[in-house]
Amino acid sequence: MLSVEALEEYGANTKEAIARCANKEDLYLKLVKRIPTDKGFDRLKDALDAGDLDEAFEAAHGLKGIVANLSLTPLLTPISDITEKTRAKEEADYGPLLNEMFLQRDKLSILCDD
Amino acid sequence: MDEEMIYQFQMKRSVLVVDDEEINQQILGGILEDHYEVMYASDGEEALSVIEEQGPLLSLVLLDLMMPKMDGFEVMKRMQQDVVLRGIPVIVLTSEEQLEIESLRQGAADFIKKPYDVPEKIIARVKRIIALFEDRSIIQSTEKDELTGLYEKGYFYEYAMLQDRFNPGEEKDAVVLNISHFHLFNEIYGMDEGDKVLKVLASALEKYALRFGGIAGRSDADWFMVYVPRQKNYEELYEEVEEALNKEFSSHHIRIRIGVYVVAKDEEKLVPCFEKAKTACNSIREKYHKKVAIFDDKLREKQVYSERLIHDIRDAIKDKQLKVYFQSKYDVTKETPEIISAEALVRWIHPEFGMVSPGDFITLFEENGLIQIVDEFVWKEAARRVRKWQDEYKVTIPVSVNVSRIDLHDPEIKNKLIRIVNEARINPTDLHLEITESAYEEDTNRMVEVVKSLKDAGFVIEMDDFGSGYSSLNMITTIPFDILKLDMSLIRDIHRDERSRKMLEIVMDIAKFLKVNVVAEGVEEKEQLDILKSLEAQIIQGYYFSKPVSPEEFEALIKR
Repeated sequence: MLSVEALEEYGANTKEAIARCANKEDLYLKLVKRIPTDKGFDRLKDALDAGDLDEAFEAAHGLKGIVANLSLTPLLTPISDITEKTRAKEEADYGPLLNEMFLQRDKLSILCDD
Repeated sequence: MDEEMIYQFQMKRSVLVVDDEEINQQILGGILEDHYEVMYASDGEEALSVIEEQGPLLSLVLLDLMMPKMDGFEVMKRMQQDVVLRGIPVIVLTSEEQLEIESLRQGAADFIKKPYDVPEKIIARVKRIIALFEDRSIIQSTEKDELTGLYEKGYFYEYAMLQDRFNPGEEKDAVVLNISHFHLFNEIYGMDEGDKVLKVLASALEKYALRFGGIAGRSDADWFMVYVPRQKNYEELYEEVEEALNKEFSSHHIRIRIGVYVVAKDEEKLVPCFEKAKTACNSIREKYHKKVAIFDDKLREKQVYSERLIHDIRDAIKDKQLKVYFQSKYDVTKETPEIISAEALVRWIHPEFGMVSPGDFITLFEENGLIQIVDEFVWKEAARRVRKWQDEYKVTIPVSVNVSRIDLHDPEIKNKLIRIVNEARINPTDLHLEITESAYEEDTNRMVEVVKSLKDAGFVIEMDDFGSGYSSLNMITTIPFDILKLDMSLIRDIHRDERSRKMLEIVMDIAKFLKVNVVAEGVEEKEQLDILKSLEAQIIQGYYFSKPVSPEEFEALIKR
């Protein structure tokens, strides 16, 4: 079962995020559990694969918003980078950042499934 | 339930959270739900439909900017275009600092940064913005005139003074605008059409004022005020207003007048400035060729004189400077005309100015209500004289006295008059009450009711000045009166001009139809008298028989 301690270990700033959720720990955990299945990840990957940087920016920006609000730092780092690069319409190799993002998402997913 | 009641009863306000990310919605909802009724929308279109449905019942919108279908900027743009929705505050939710300025430009009241700050800060911001906008909304609902949207008088002066404070040294003018005979317009075309005129006029005034960095307000009824940086002339304002009115009401011939007071640099209070502009505006009331009047030295002198008269009137009564003169009215149905009654006319012999013309003080005192003390003085004096003549000469000569519009508004008028006739020990029928036709122009029903009660109490009612202004045939069938008193303007040319004579014939026919006696005023020539007699006029007043004379001279006439 997903716990605050496990998320701490994962690298999330749970103190900050729980405070943001009006100190409602249940609400925080409930919202975190929804992250791994968020459609934004696939939307971002598809957009980058298709070279559609505008769509990619929108998807990254949306993901960044929710992940930042939940203070999921390990996931936030690659998503923030992608957001800034796509905002600047950089024609870069997004592969490593996407890999890192999916890696962190999957880690989180395992925590949520436990 | 309206906005103000919600505010008063401290009800839980409704806020709308707009974000395409459900997780963000829920975090914000979690923060707000203990304090507010929280609604949600996931894109701009959905948000707009909730905002439109809720209208002013919605206290706040928390709005994400980047959303599918319709973004946050478009939502704000649409809200700004709607007069009601623009009053609902919007707090923008954004992680993009560079969008903050643009959001403010589009009408946002504040920001909440993403990721969200601690809940206490968010609650504090939300509370502050809601309170600010509710206060603003209450002020706005009272500061503007409901019909025209211009500033109410009190707020107008406040904002005008603010302008002065922020622009010291800027030369300004106080401008007043009025519609001539607007009550007649309302009577002819109806109040709804009258309201439309006021709205069109107000809108033209506001445009003008804003263009020059001034402000416009509605004083009362058809009186408007503009406070603007000094202009070379105000013909342009006149033309703009006239054009706007002509465009909408080309067939109605609406005449406007403008009065201007050039505000001096050291002027501290604005109310007197606008009073002077109004004086200027009134100075061209009957001068149909003049559009704009500036308060000049001549008007200034007149105002000083008026202020002196206002100041002196109470002492004048106490010191017996006011005299009541009598002008006899003759019954011409007899072979030898006989005095049948008289009109009491007030004269003021001022210790400094000598004889003050009634024209100088009657209208002035009607404006400020002082006419009541003058009228009451005349009523008492007239009643006293009627009694004296009865005692000394064994004749009853009724005297007519003027009753002004202001007197008719006094709820005590009937009691006052009854007390006066009782104290003098005369009959109410011996005191004729001359009420000018124009007294019925405003609040007609109430005036008719008051006059009817006076008639029922036994007083004889004379309709004064008939034919001097815009006589209404409809009105004379409604008003209860016993005697129709023809204004001298109807008589003046009857012996020289066929049309005048014809007009008189028509009026005499109307009097016959209404079965009321007629008094013809201002008769000076024998030819006039002969024509009136041929038309079966019964009572004549005028210099042909006698000018107004002192009580002593009048008594000499009685003796004769």
